[in-house]
Amino acid sequence: MVIELAVLAIVGFASGLAVGCGFVAFLTVLGIIPRLAQLTDTRRYIPGYEWSVVCGAIAGTWLGLRHIQLSLPAIVLVPIGLAAGVFVGMLAAALTEVLNVLPILAKRIGVNEQILILLMAIVIGKVCGSLFHWTFFIHDLKE
Amino acid sequence: MAISIYIRMRYKFTAALGDCIRIGKLAHIIAPDRIKKEIAELPIHRIVSKDNKFVVIDAMDVIQAICKKFPDCDIQTVGPSQTIIEVVTKKRKSGPVFFILVWVLLFIGAGLTIMNFHEDVSMASVHRKIYHLVTGRENARPLIMQIPYSFGVGIGMILFFNHIFKKRFNEEPSPLEVEMFNYQQDLDQYVILEENRKSEFKRHGD
Repeated sequence: MVIELAVLAIVGFASGLAVGCGFVAFLTVLGIIPRLAQLTDTRRYIPGYEWSVVCGAIAGTWLGLRHIQLSLPAIVLVPIGLAAGVFVGMLAAALTEVLNVLPILAKRIGVNEQILILLMAIVIGKVCGSLFHWTFFIHDLKE
Repeated sequence: MAISIYIRMRYKFTAALGDCIRIGKLAHIIAPDRIKKEIAELPIHRIVSKDNKFVVIDAMDVIQAICKKFPDCDIQTVGPSQTIIEVVTKKRKSGPVFFILVWVLLFIGAGLTIMNFHEDVSMASVHRKIYHLVTGRENARPLIMQIPYSFGVGIGMILFFNHIFKKRFNEEPSPLEVEMFNYQQDLDQYVILEENRKSEFKRHGD
């Protein structure tokens, strides 16, 4: 019994360590934190942002694994949803950028000035795709 | 005493077919006024259709031309050692139809990828879970958080690229602009090396 618990604890700890490292590596490669610090001109607080990510990851893990209920009004979900969306949007933008899609595309079709409009196509496409997914797509799937 | 001439090659400029490239256009020159004008007028290259898209002029060619004219000069070069000339033939007009096509392609592609991403990471069930966590009630379609979420995705992308259409939040370049710059620089580097190799080959071939 003790050995079983010890093995489970070690496996849990080890997998958590690996996932945590992977998460941080992912964030580092995409450079979202430096980007936010640059935008808001708060580079000196970057260690604080690191802790924010760590605390958020731990809170998310704990709340996700336990079935905790806070019984708050639904309106609280609006800022949560918005923040989650902004984060995912930044992830998506960073991924597009890492893959070097836009510079090559702009060069190929020779539209250096209108690249902003192409960028807007992607942004508006993401918003519409996401809205469509939640309002129609899932709905149809259930019926 | 030899006259000192300083030249700094320009990095890159564009020229049309048939243009005669003179040193004055290729480089900044510091020299005594009376010979500066003469140097600036020295022709280096005439662009012919055989040149294709790029011509690379090496600083050595410029020095050679100046030495021929003023043998007793001391020439110093500063900065880049070659200039890229981009030959602009008739500007390829990318029609609005073509542009709209690409726009629609990107629009649909972006929408599809975000849906794929949501399915991939089971975003719907995570949203349901968060709804349950916060309110204590079950809701199969927690739109109250999903609609702000959707707009958040767009806001996040705009924030990352530092643009609200034309307006920007601060004066620093966006990652996209940096990326475009890096890509252009890589291309230029390639052109320099490739053209050098070609002209080397031509010289040996003659």
